[in-house]
Amino acid sequence: MQLSRTQIIEKLKEILISADERNGALAARAEESASLRGDFGFSSVNMLYLVIAIEESFGIEFDDVSMSDFETLGDVVDYIAGKLG
Amino acid sequence: MQTPGREIFRKYTTEETFELIKEYDTVAQMWAHCAENYADRTAIIDEGTEYSFARLDADVSRFRSAVAAALPGLTGARIGIFAPNSYDFVKAFLAVTTLGHTAVVLPPQLPPPAVAGCAAKFGLKALVCYPGPAAESVGCPCVDISSLPDAPTPAAECRAETPCVIMMTGGTTGKSKGALLSNGAVLQGTVNGCYGYRDVFGQRYLLILPLSHVFGLIRNLMTSLYTGSTLIVCRNNKDMFKDIAVYKPTILVMVPALAEMALMLSKKFGRNMLGDSLKYIICGAAAVSPYLVSEYHKLGVALFPGYGLTESANLVSGNPEMMIRPESVGLMYPHQEYKVVDGELWLRGANMLLDYVGEPEAAYTPDGWFRTGDLVRFDEDGFLYIVGRIKEIIVLSNGENVSPAEVEAHFNAVSLIQDSQVFEDVAENGAHILALEVVPRVTEIAGLAPEEAGRRIMEALQKVNKELPAYQQVQRITIRQSDFERTPSMKIVRYKKCN
Repeated sequence: MQLSRTQIIEKLKEILISADERNGALAARAEESASLRGDFGFSSVNMLYLVIAIEESFGIEFDDVSMSDFETLGDVVDYIAGKLG
Repeated sequence: MQTPGREIFRKYTTEETFELIKEYDTVAQMWAHCAENYADRTAIIDEGTEYSFARLDADVSRFRSAVAAALPGLTGARIGIFAPNSYDFVKAFLAVTTLGHTAVVLPPQLPPPAVAGCAAKFGLKALVCYPGPAAESVGCPCVDISSLPDAPTPAAECRAETPCVIMMTGGTTGKSKGALLSNGAVLQGTVNGCYGYRDVFGQRYLLILPLSHVFGLIRNLMTSLYTGSTLIVCRNNKDMFKDIAVYKPTILVMVPALAEMALMLSKKFGRNMLGDSLKYIICGAAAVSPYLVSEYHKLGVALFPGYGLTESANLVSGNPEMMIRPESVGLMYPHQEYKVVDGELWLRGANMLLDYVGEPEAAYTPDGWFRTGDLVRFDEDGFLYIVGRIKEIIVLSNGENVSPAEVEAHFNAVSLIQDSQVFEDVAENGAHILALEVVPRVTEIAGLAPEEAGRRIMEALQKVNKELPAYQQVQRITIRQSDFERTPSMKIVRYKKCN
């Protein structure tokens, strides 16, 4: 599946909002520098949700990485783009 | 008071199953029974490899040789086990304990200096681990957990009171302590996990919880082995749903936060992510919302809220099938004595710890009671309810004592609320006030505009608040934009704003 960076972000927004509706405003701005823990306030459980939902939605599989390796939304987009590319 | 005997659980299963639930004094006795009776069954599945009970027994016997070689002539030594959830962990735990040594289970996320610190604090004579930085710096002999000498070594003689394992307490509200559990306590906790439901033996368990947590070690691993069930090791929690799809577990042992997440994912993707084979979720280690019980019931899964402590070899009480009371943590398991002193549950019995290790304070009162720190009540049928924790009690300036958990339970009953925290805070004018923060339940506010969701939540909370006694009413309500900070076992970290 080939997706542009914009398409990846759009799909990611859906997941962020499904994880928590209150992410809507922040996700809508799609600032790649937004911190997952600091700005989105994700706990370890939220992070797990994010990984599983990304795998389901994008049809990719995360390597043996820790979610703490992802600081920002942009880091996640980079990772997905790398996997899809 | 003595807890009711095991007979009260007879009616929740078949006669045949109930009679199969036997009590053993030691891990060695239990394991000998499992190895003999379930030899051809699959005990463990790890990274796609299936290990039968007979294979595991043979490997345990061979690994005993590795441990014995590292500690020639020594009995009753404390031996650290430092490894992630794996077949090797199971093999090492059974080998160490059936040799009569005490397994000191170290959380696998500990950095090497902390492992060395534990080795000194607990007086480890050896550390069982994979080769690496921890092994190099620990300062005692190390045994490679993956080693398998050719020659077997038989199990040693143990008794119920022989120390079996040191487990770290959660440390949600204080520092973590090492609780020393005897063989008898571990076995009592293991057997307690069999009471109250129909399908007990020959099940399929998925191991999601860390084995360094008593809920993972005893309720997940030990009860699985005891019942001749298959334990599937989930190496990474992100793979739990893939493992579920492949291995079709029938029982999951989970903390509420994971059960809630699985529910959210099932709703998002429009299918039951936990699979059609799942019958039971054993849920505990934190307060279980009644909402989870009712939502899982709709999926055809019985979710049992239960209660336990590291110090009680995990299981103190559990809900029986067909009689689940969602707000309760169930009926007390057998062989415990209890009393309620000023609202606090005090325990003693076969499942209780021997003592803390390396701590200045004793675990027991001079007359032998363990004070749980949990404030409880019982209903007329003997079901137990947790209403708060003593250490969390807030003493207001007017002298009133407020149990945050008791107040939170009222707010948590609102379906729009997933989690809440009541705490003492300081207002702008310096006055101490009771404050509430809530995390909305995403699935319940889905589709609502943020303002509308906020309005509904606030209305519901205000309504609950007005119905509370005046001293329990909160003066400030905040709807959080994110989850609370959580401990490694996913419990909420409590605020301490006014200490």
